[in-house]
Amino acid sequence: MAANTDRRRINAPSGGTSAPIFAKTVKDPQYQQSLRPTRTRGPDELRKIFLQTGIIPSASGSAYLEIPGQPRSSSTLIPSSSSLKITASIQGPKPLPRSAPFSPSLLLTTTVKFAPFATRNRRGYIRDSVERDLGVHLESALRGVIIGERWPKSGVEIVITILEGDEDGWWGDSAGEGSGWGLLNVLSGCITVSSAAITDAGIDCVDMVSGGVAALVREPSQTGKEGALVKVLDPCPSEHQDIIAACAVGYLAGRDEITELWVRGNVQEDSDQLIEGATHAAFGGLTVMKEVLLESLEAKFKGFTEKSTDAKGGDSGGDIEMSG
Amino acid sequence: MAATTSAAQQHPPALTFPRPIFAALSPHPFLQAHLSSTANDRNNSSKAPFRANGRTPTEFRSPGINTGSLTHCNGSAVVRLGNTAVVCGVRAEILKEEDIPGGRTFASTEEEDENEDEDDTEELSTLRLLVPNVELSTGSTPQHIPGNAPSTFAQTLVTRLRNTLLSTRLVRASDLRIAYTPSSAGSDSESEPPQVKAYWVLYIDTLFISIDGSAFDAAFLAILAALRNTRIPRAYYDEEFEAVLCDDDPKSARVLRLRGLPVPSTFAVFEGRDEDGDAEGKLEWILSDPDAFEESVCKESVCVVVDCSAAGASASRKGSTDGAVVRKIEKSGGTVVGREDMKVLVGRSAERWGVWHKALKEQI
Repeated sequence: MAANTDRRRINAPSGGTSAPIFAKTVKDPQYQQSLRPTRTRGPDELRKIFLQTGIIPSASGSAYLEIPGQPRSSSTLIPSSSSLKITASIQGPKPLPRSAPFSPSLLLTTTVKFAPFATRNRRGYIRDSVERDLGVHLESALRGVIIGERWPKSGVEIVITILEGDEDGWWGDSAGEGSGWGLLNVLSGCITVSSAAITDAGIDCVDMVSGGVAALVREPSQTGKEGALVKVLDPCPSEHQDIIAACAVGYLAGRDEITELWVRGNVQEDSDQLIEGATHAAFGGLTVMKEVLLESLEAKFKGFTEKSTDAKGGDSGGDIEMSG
Repeated sequence: MAATTSAAQQHPPALTFPRPIFAALSPHPFLQAHLSSTANDRNNSSKAPFRANGRTPTEFRSPGINTGSLTHCNGSAVVRLGNTAVVCGVRAEILKEEDIPGGRTFASTEEEDENEDEDDTEELSTLRLLVPNVELSTGSTPQHIPGNAPSTFAQTLVTRLRNTLLSTRLVRASDLRIAYTPSSAGSDSESEPPQVKAYWVLYIDTLFISIDGSAFDAAFLAILAALRNTRIPRAYYDEEFEAVLCDDDPKSARVLRLRGLPVPSTFAVFEGRDEDGDAEGKLEWILSDPDAFEESVCKESVCVVVDCSAAGASASRKGSTDGAVVRKIEKSGGTVVGREDMKVLVGRSAERWGVWHKALKEQI
């Protein structure tokens, strides 16, 4: 870790620090292998999704998404796999500053930032290239969905904070690090959560977009032979030893359109099959989103009717007079 | 809640506005109308005035705490205070002895540190063993747009948090030392004293999900709850590997032995304007736990950090200030709060301590 100081923040010791090394994982490779998580779901089964809207009252729209990981083991301090926790906040639409050039449609700005404690290795405070890359992918997924012509000369800010992100692979495999498989899951989560936040903000869209991921994995080889290739939906990279290819989509289920497609790895011949798998996963996310949005709408409507009956009952809650 | 100023009763009302528009157009008269209406209308002093958010001036928001939800942290907490929501994660990493700049060594661990009054603040601050940081640009409020450097507010906040952490001497340096006693096999001389091979560094990152006033209170209490939740793995110097290794058995991990339980309470002073010159009653209100709207119209603010853990919860329940130790008082702007008012505020903070103490205790 470089000893560059940032005078606007509290700095770590200039000599740098290192993450703790656990003795058993160094001395006993067998033990380390015993910690490897495995996929217990079926290949077509998605992880549970928790979604909530309206978590930030000062923002025009906001949402929180959580995909829980494997439960924490009671016999070791090393977490086996990560979960996914993302918050999205929408600021705007608001008028662009006077100095900005004329824009006939809504200007969309997306910012994606990992929290310092989001991954197994600590993240920095300043956005790195991975985070900027995710921001660009997210923007392209959302730009086609929002009807921007209805807000000329305005801008909207979509701020995504990743409290916890999926990992690129199992922590014990050094090959998994930096491969970027986890980013596909993070992107798909970002698409779903920002879509829910946009709907919460009441910004006009052509349809609700949702994210989904599918991957082509090689089954663990037995008796020396190479394992067969299997297509899995919503892969958790740390549960698979050998991922061949993966694909994330932003999918409009109502119109059967794809706004964002990100494929990594060697897709073999059946790329269509992989993309179709990802759209199936996206559809699963959409059903959750629809339910949550309907629920929040119902709650809002209920509060509204209660308030209006209140106002009829007495003058409380009514207007405040102000002498001119 | 119809707030009618006395002037408006004489003349027919010229303008009426819905509440949010009144609040946005003229925030100061809006809050003053709220605070003065109930006191003036009903000539009964027993009824306290209400603020725009429905609370009485001395009412705090009730806290919500949830700990241990983050996977990659040694300790974590989510604290909710009305519409203010904060996530705090504590992560421990190892600072090796050879990486300590200047090779400074501090008081040896010889005189074993069961001593309560060991002064380790210098050790903690010089080695930078506590690294608190805050992030406000998470879309938590329209004022903090990401992409910019930390604002003045963020820098002030993080400095105040660090100063409070150090001055209250919450964390013990002895908890963060990783000591090593060389095995003196063969030699029959008296065993060598243990030497500090490494330190644990605590990265304390606080993220604001949503801000609605009292940012300092929420952030500090999130840090407090996260530190109480923190489990540090057992670490030792391994002679074979010549490195510091840890034990991944949760049973051998230990909690931090924190000193006391300092709880901050923020107050804002609202100064009413006496435009007609017919001042009835008081024109200043000291508001507990202000929200963002109130903070925007109040110039003077007071933050009191008290610790009643020595006296126990019984003292704080009565609202008495005996046994409450004032750890810190910060006051800025304005001239309203004097010595008498400050006494009252310390009393209110002591009461507040009991609420937090109860909420934090439920988590363990």
